[in-house]
Amino acid sequence: MASTAATRTASGAFKAVKPLISRDIDEAKRRVRELYRAWYREVPNTVAVFQLDITTGQGRDKVREMFNKNKHVTDPRIIDMLVIKGKMELQETIEVWKQRTHIMRYFHETETPRPTDFLSKFYYGHDP
Amino acid sequence: MASVILVRCVRGARAVYHPALCLRQGGGGGVRPAAAAAATTSLLARRDFWQQRLVQAPGNAQCVQWRRFSDLPPLTPESIQERVFHVLKLYDKINPEKLQVTSHFMKDLGLDSLDQVEIVMAMEDEFGFEIPDVEAEKLMCPQDIVKYVAEKKDIL
Repeated sequence: MASTAATRTASGAFKAVKPLISRDIDEAKRRVRELYRAWYREVPNTVAVFQLDITTGQGRDKVREMFNKNKHVTDPRIIDMLVIKGKMELQETIEVWKQRTHIMRYFHETETPRPTDFLSKFYYGHDP
Repeated sequence: MASVILVRCVRGARAVYHPALCLRQGGGGGVRPAAAAAATTSLLARRDFWQQRLVQAPGNAQCVQWRRFSDLPPLTPESIQERVFHVLKLYDKINPEKLQVTSHFMKDLGLDSLDQVEIVMAMEDEFGFEIPDVEAEKLMCPQDIVKYVAEKKDIL
């Protein structure tokens, strides 16, 4: 599998896959920017409608954090899928199909952070 | 922009308000073009202008129309640049000392592509018109923004 991939890239012939929505990475990035604009403009309305206890700045930082989580993705189809999911979340937030608890789930206030290094996991328990 | 204009309006209103000298006779069309010219001058010059008009009014049959309809000051490339810099200095991720006309957002100021989107949105709010994303992604330094706004507003 790795050798065939290496020969493919060595010959310069990429496997052509059917795009989801955008044809290349630039179009996909444009969609991401449009989604970010929509979320950025929506945050003050969300804070007002749901009567959240966060400030608009905190909400916008959270939006930026969620976008930065997927910063490393390069495949346009994956980017399109993430944009579609983001749009679904945005629609649910705008139309108030969500509730305050759903919005605040982004903030993970009451969760204890899961252990990451070996020793913490060992102290936490034997479940991997 | 709104904060700057509000401050000016409050300062100007106190200086101009002279109800006793206001003569509402006839059309008062003669004063309106003068008011438009006065809007471009500085605040102090404007106040002196109005006080002069009010002093001349009793001897003059022309009515002193001091109801000024709100109008934005005319856009010049310098005023656009001033407003762009004002907005950029308010942005907390930009260091105001490092800000130049030609400083690239990503290379010189170390901003993200999403930061650049936020800056373009702030410019949209400032100048009051939508900037489509196709053209927004090319605006990479304040000079570009000034040129784009001047182009869109048909200024030389």
